[in-house]
Amino acid sequence: MKRVLLVILFVSVALVGLGIQQLVVNSYMSDPEPKRVFEELVQQFESMYPDFEVTVNTFAHEDFKVLLRTWLTSSNPPDVVTWFAGERMRYFASKDLLEPIDDIFENGFEADFPKAFVSASSYEDRIYFLPQSWYWWGVYYRKSVFEELGITVPLTWKQFLDVCETLKANDMIPITIGTKYLWTAAGVFDYLNMRVNGMDYALKLTNGEIPYTDDGMKAVFEYWKQLVENGYFIEDATSYTWQEAATYLFTGEAGMYLMGQFIKDVAPPDVKDDLDFFRFPIIDGNLGLYEDTPIDGFMMPANAKNKEAGKTFLKFIASKEAQEYFATELGRLAANKHVPAPDDHAKKGLEMILSSDGVMQFYDRDTDPEMANAGMNGFVEFMTFPSRLDTILKNLEAERNRIYK
Amino acid sequence: MRSKRWVPWAFLALPLTMYSIWVIYPLISTLLLSFTSWDGVSMSKDIIGLDNFRELFRDPYFIVSLINNIKWLIGFAVVCVPAGLGIALLLDQNFRGNKLYKTLVYLPMTLSFVVIGQIWSWILEPRSGVLNSFLALLGFKGVSWLSDPSVVTYSLIMAASWRQISYAMVLFLAGLKGVPRELVEAATVDGAGPWKRFWNVVLPMLKPATVVAVTVSVIDSLRAFDIVYVLTRGGPFYSSSVMANYMYIKAFNNYRMGYGSSIATIQFLITLVFIVVYMRNVLKKEVGNE
Amino acid sequence: MKKTLFYIFATLLVLVWLMPFVITMFTSVKSMDELMMGRRWWEPPKELRFENYATAWQDANMGRYFMNTFIITVPSVLGALFLSSLGAFALAWYDFRLSKTILMIFVGGMLIPFQMLLIPVYRMSISFGIYDSYIGVILFHIAFQLGFCTFFLRNFMKTIPASIFDAAMIDGAGHFLIYRRIVLPLVVPAMAALGILEFTWIWNDYLWSLILIQSDRFKPVTLGLVNLQGQWITSWNVMAAGSIIAAVVPLVVFLLFQRYFIEGLTVGSVKG
Repeated sequence: MKRVLLVILFVSVALVGLGIQQLVVNSYMSDPEPKRVFEELVQQFESMYPDFEVTVNTFAHEDFKVLLRTWLTSSNPPDVVTWFAGERMRYFASKDLLEPIDDIFENGFEADFPKAFVSASSYEDRIYFLPQSWYWWGVYYRKSVFEELGITVPLTWKQFLDVCETLKANDMIPITIGTKYLWTAAGVFDYLNMRVNGMDYALKLTNGEIPYTDDGMKAVFEYWKQLVENGYFIEDATSYTWQEAATYLFTGEAGMYLMGQFIKDVAPPDVKDDLDFFRFPIIDGNLGLYEDTPIDGFMMPANAKNKEAGKTFLKFIASKEAQEYFATELGRLAANKHVPAPDDHAKKGLEMILSSDGVMQFYDRDTDPEMANAGMNGFVEFMTFPSRLDTILKNLEAERNRIYK
Repeated sequence: MRSKRWVPWAFLALPLTMYSIWVIYPLISTLLLSFTSWDGVSMSKDIIGLDNFRELFRDPYFIVSLINNIKWLIGFAVVCVPAGLGIALLLDQNFRGNKLYKTLVYLPMTLSFVVIGQIWSWILEPRSGVLNSFLALLGFKGVSWLSDPSVVTYSLIMAASWRQISYAMVLFLAGLKGVPRELVEAATVDGAGPWKRFWNVVLPMLKPATVVAVTVSVIDSLRAFDIVYVLTRGGPFYSSSVMANYMYIKAFNNYRMGYGSSIATIQFLITLVFIVVYMRNVLKKEVGNE
Repeated sequence: MKKTLFYIFATLLVLVWLMPFVITMFTSVKSMDELMMGRRWWEPPKELRFENYATAWQDANMGRYFMNTFIITVPSVLGALFLSSLGAFALAWYDFRLSKTILMIFVGGMLIPFQMLLIPVYRMSISFGIYDSYIGVILFHIAFQLGFCTFFLRNFMKTIPASIFDAAMIDGAGHFLIYRRIVLPLVVPAMAALGILEFTWIWNDYLWSLILIQSDRFKPVTLGLVNLQGQWITSWNVMAAGSIIAAVVPLVVFLLFQRYFIEGLTVGSVKG
């Protein structure tokens, strides 16, 4: 073993001696497809910049979230890490753990990236986050199933409830959902909140400015109650991961799933093309149309050792070519606004977003982590025991007061 | 053994040093963290005295976790240990293939907890899981193993028991090997029935194995984490949470390292109580033997 | 008649016990499509996809992870056994004031909820410059296992009659020689037993490798398996195949050393 260490030492010294710039990137893209595509991007980078050597370390998603914190505070962190935009990023920026990366944008951030992404990528007017891809959420369904049952895509809440009834009458599960890991329930909450109260309200809530016992909140749950008490959700939702719940959509046992675009990644080939989505139904016709568009990308720890090399890499990732490659291979939407949507499905998603009045990140990506955890647990508890709503809201309010004091 | 005073210390030097560095020092570090409100990320750590502990004992989720740990304790000590003993007795008979059987029942121990958790999530799934499919075959309605708050902890204990019983079985198999056949045969000659033989001859000779099995099960039940984390994360809404799981969520997901450390401290102290009791027992026996 | 009943009972028991394994085996040879469509875990696969094993080995890099796990586990087990035998020897044979206290300290280490040690150990390994290396994980495993191992071996050594020791002392043997030539050979069965347990635990360790290793090239098998849990998707079939491959090693170790295992624990318990 000592010999192995010596060899590694020798090679590293040699590399440094030869002027090879080393770069360490830690990523949570552990799914086979994104992992492959990212590796290809790295290879492209290395062939463009031959004196750079990039090491990519991949981690399971949940582990990554825990480890990131330890890396950011260590004296020897990776040079670049994958992460999410929004509060999750700002939390670290506010503690001086991130390196501002404004200088990688020659013509400024907005030359290549949408204005709507600015606030999600910055903290106190400096950019800390490089967006790479983003996706939309919608109510996914199988076209063939709807056709067979003669269902038309609902636009309003009332129409949506009717669709649920039809599905139920035909022995199908109207809405499938897997709440084992909580965030799927946050998705339902986000959409109901945006439809009932609008985006400003939603943003204030994630900022901790609105009491959980507020009337606006109660209104959200009134609508949610209609779905829960009519038995429109799948039974035992808390036993399933989102992926396990998705299989019921694929087998045709369930009719709809409020989910992000990545659901297509898991669909079996013969189902993939049958999948389509519609915008979450409108509740208040006077409010604007708002959507959740979580953004994924990269950021740089403040303690990184190879900042120049890291920034060169980030610049590459920001480029139209790199963004287009990633998006096209995976069917996602590139953050770089010069990149066209890769396929029809993505086009539809893009259009839906472009015709919206505003976008948010996601309840748990935008709220204080501890509050988000309490909130999501509350949502899941509500879905199981809707009669407990008042107690749940009261407890959440107590948490909010404690956390945001 | 009185000879040169420094001799035992010479032997202990290396192990004790390593142990102090990697275990004792971090332990004390964490104990001290319980008195802070550190979030695990900031440079500064604010000292808040006993506030964490005060909050702990009023925290309903911590209380739930504590109660669940007690359920685990009872489950492991009262079910796993006797079950392991039973299986060991069963497989210790002389019959063809008993070595194979012993190996097969040992198998759960070769798997990592992550894998065990994943497998059991397939078994406990409500619609297409193995258990519910089997119940359906028999004409019973399925059970919401992992989503019914009143059932979920027992489901987790069941999943963990699969491995724990194997562990206990192995300990007892070893112990049974030490029971001299002549004693058992003598008892048979004396006219003792199988139950009497077991109770009066075999069981007393199994005492060391029993003590180890019980102790290990007690410690494992109070430290339970992996199965809970992999199967439910302590859900639904903390109804299946145990102390180690709650501590992990608070410290690593909620960015409350100080609070999480205080939970770990309490968990450590509770286990310490059990260990002190056990050690007294063991040391007393040794004095008796000398 | 009684024997047949007995056989049936024992066989049923073993079958029930093996059921989770059987499910894993089935899952490991199913295709992802089959899993995503008609998910009945207990059904045998419709088509056999043995290439899942190849995928687990190659794409999931199992080969390298296996090597890493060996590199980590074997020195850790040997180191823990050796050092704990030293400590156990001192605690079992020498009567000195702090011996009971030190024993309690080692035992106390058996109880620590290990999550408690995560952050301090992580920081320490960075300050010592051993973060993200084999040696960092190995040293930690050795140190952490010393608690249980010292306790276990000390108890076992206590069952060796003092007369053996005294006789050697009278013969003028040095202390280390007594340790090496007399006591150690007597505890080899117990050490083998302990070695198997330690091997299995360290082989299957997940948490510490997660915290102390960053680079893919050092990762052990347990981390590799979890990486099959993607951000969105879990390749259950490849993961099942990988788990079975990973379980083979501890099983082989058990089979090879099991007679020591049974013997080792026995001698201790006979003496009480």
